[in-house]
Amino acid sequence: MSEPRDLGSAGIVRLVAGREISTRIRDKSFIISSLVIILLIVGSIGFQVAVSSGGAQLRIGIVDDSGALGPALQAQGEAVAVDVTVVGLDDEAGARSAVEDGDVDGAVLDAADPQLIVEESADGSLLAVVQGAVSQLAVSEQLARAGITHLDVPEVAVTPMEPDAEQNGQRIGAAIIGVSLLYGLLILFGQFIAQGVVEEKSSRVVELLLATLRPWQLLAGKVIGLGVLGLGQIVVVMVIGVGGALAFDVIDVPGDVVGTAVSVVAWFVLGYAFYAAIFAVAASLVSRQEDLGTVLMPTTLLLVGSLVIGIRAAGDPGGTLARVTSYIPGLSPMVMPVRQAAGQVAAWEIALAVVLMLAAIALVVRLGGRVYSAALLRTSGKTKLKDAFRAERI
Amino acid sequence: MLEFDGLRKSFGDNRVLDGVGFTVAPGSMFGFCGSNGAGKTTTMRIAMGLVRPDAGEVRWQGHLLDAGARRRIGYMPEERGLYPKMKVGEQVAYFARLHGLRAAAAARAAEEWVGRLGLGERRGDAVEKLSLGNQQRVQLAAALVSRPEVLILDEPFSGLDPIGVDSLAEALLSQAREGVPVVFSSHQLDLVERLCDSVGILARGRMVAAGTVDELRRREAGRLLRVVVPDAQPSWAAQLAGVRVVSEQAGDTLVELAAGTDDQTVLAAALRTGRVTHFAWRQPTLVELFREAVAAPPREVAA
Repeated sequence: MSEPRDLGSAGIVRLVAGREISTRIRDKSFIISSLVIILLIVGSIGFQVAVSSGGAQLRIGIVDDSGALGPALQAQGEAVAVDVTVVGLDDEAGARSAVEDGDVDGAVLDAADPQLIVEESADGSLLAVVQGAVSQLAVSEQLARAGITHLDVPEVAVTPMEPDAEQNGQRIGAAIIGVSLLYGLLILFGQFIAQGVVEEKSSRVVELLLATLRPWQLLAGKVIGLGVLGLGQIVVVMVIGVGGALAFDVIDVPGDVVGTAVSVVAWFVLGYAFYAAIFAVAASLVSRQEDLGTVLMPTTLLLVGSLVIGIRAAGDPGGTLARVTSYIPGLSPMVMPVRQAAGQVAAWEIALAVVLMLAAIALVVRLGGRVYSAALLRTSGKTKLKDAFRAERI
Repeated sequence: MLEFDGLRKSFGDNRVLDGVGFTVAPGSMFGFCGSNGAGKTTTMRIAMGLVRPDAGEVRWQGHLLDAGARRRIGYMPEERGLYPKMKVGEQVAYFARLHGLRAAAAARAAEEWVGRLGLGERRGDAVEKLSLGNQQRVQLAAALVSRPEVLILDEPFSGLDPIGVDSLAEALLSQAREGVPVVFSSHQLDLVERLCDSVGILARGRMVAAGTVDELRRREAGRLLRVVVPDAQPSWAAQLAGVRVVSEQAGDTLVELAAGTDDQTVLAAALRTGRVTHFAWRQPTLVELFREAVAAPPREVAA
C-alpha cells in the first residue's frame, strides 16, 4: 500500500466533485429528468418540422410541349408562397395514373385549352397556382400576338418598417426557450444541491467528512461537481436543440440563434454559481428533507419571479422593467439573454450585469460559506440564520 | 505521544471542559470514561477540529494537530454517519481517498478492510440496506482504511452484539500492537478495564482520575473493606468511629475507612457480633472507581 499523501485543496475539491458526479449520474431522477428535457427538445423540433412542412408544397404534373407552363407554375407558386414541384408527364393517360397514384397533387393538360385533373377536388392553393400560371401565359401570349413582346412592368419596392421582426422573433423565441430551460435546470440542480447538503446532515456523515476537509472544500466540490453535470446537460440540450433546428431548417438565422444559445449557456454558469450557493447555504440550516421546502421557498420564488420577468421582457425588451432587472444579480441570468437576443443591448450593459453578478456570487459565497460552516454540525432541528452568523466557525 | 493539554470549552454559559489534559503513548489504549454530558465527545471533537477550544491544544508527536495531521487520524464519531445510498466498497474507498490514498491504493485498502470486517459479500450493497451492526462495521472500516497513525473513536462499542464487541476489540488491539495510540470512549467499563492500558475519568469538565487501572486502584486501595458477618445486626458497624457503611446486605458489609482508622478495630467489632466468614481489603472494580470519582467533588489530578 502506498503511503497517504497530502491532497491539497484542489485535490479534495476534485474528489468531492467526482463523488457528486458519479453518484448523481447513476441517480434515477437525474437520468429521467435528462431524458425528459431531451425528449421535449426533440419533440418540439419535430413539431416545428411537421407544422412548417404541411400544405406548403405542391407537386403538379404537366403535359405540355411549349415548355412555358412549368416555369410559369413555379413563378406563380413563389408568388403565393407555395413550393411548387413540376413533374413532366407524357400524355393524358400518364397524367391520370400519376394523379391516381398520388404522385402529383394535380395534372394540367394542354396549356392552350387547359384542363386540371385532380383526384377529388382542387384545393385553393392548387387552383390558384394553376389558374394564375395559365392566365399569365395566356396574357403574355395574347400580348405577343399583338406585337408586344417586352413588357416593362414596374417592380414593387418593399419598405419594411421592422426589417428584422421575423428574425428577432426567432431569436427571442430561442431566448425564451433557452431561459425556460435555464430556469428548469437551475431549479433542478438547486434541488440536487440542497438535497445533497441535507442528506449529509441527516445521515450525520458530515461529521466524518469535516474531520478530513474544510466546509468550503465540501461546498465547492459539491457545487462544482453538480455544476459540471448541469453544464454538460445544458450544452447537450443546446447542441441537440440548435443542431436539430438547423438540420431541419426550422430557423432562418442560424448564426444569431447559435449566439443566443451560447449566451444562455454562459448565463447558466453565472446563474448556477449564484443559486447553487444560496440553495446549499439555505439547505445547511435544516437537518431533515421535510424542512427543505420552507428554507428554499424564498430562493425558489426569486427564480420564478425572474423567469416571469424574463418572459415579459421578451415582449418588451427595451422597456424599463427589462432594462433595470437585467442588471440585478439573480434576475439578470433570466432577463439579459432575452435582451441580448432582441439585440437592444450595448456591450457595456452586458459587462455591467456580469460584473454585478460576479460581485453578488462572491458575496454569497463569502457570507454563505460562514453560515454553511457554522450550521453544518448542528444536526438537530433548524438553525436560525442569525445564529449561524454569530456561531463560531470550524 | 498524543497529548491533550489544558482543553477548555464553554458553549454559552455552559462550561463543558475545564482544563482537560491527558497523554496517550503510541501503542497504548486509552479508555475515556465519564457520565453522559461529561465532555468526552467535545474533547474528541476538539481533537478532530470539529470544535474550537477556548484554550488548550492537542498535539501529536509534539506538533499541534492541523488539518494535514488530522488526515492521518482514524475517527469514528459518536453519531455514526455514512452516505446511506452509497455502496459499501465505494464508500470505504472514498474515505480512504479523503485521507490521502491514491485511487488504486484506496480501492485495495477498502477491499481488504471490508473483507477483514466480514462484509466481503456486502461490498456492492448500499449502506442503508445493511443491519445497524454491519453499518457499524462499515463505519469502523472507514476509520481504519487509511492506515491511520492515531485512532480516536467515540463510543465504538455501543450497539454491538457480544461477537461484534469481540471482533472490534480484536481489531483495536491489533492496531495498538502496531504502535497506534487508540483513544476510545465507552460506558462499558468492564471492556475498558479489560482492554485499556490507561483510563481517564471525566466529570464536570475535568479529569477526576487518570492512569492505569492499577494506579487508580492503588489510590483507592486501603479504603474499602469487605466484612461478611452472617449473624450481625444490620447496624453493627454504624457506630464505629471513622467508618462509613457503603452497603450492607444480610451481613455482607462494605465499609469505607477514613484515613488513620485501624482496620483491626473493625475486625474486633465484627468478631463481637459472632462468626466472621470474610474479612479483606476490597479491590475496587473500575465501575466502583468510576462511581467514586464521579461522585466526589472535583479535585486536581496529576495526569
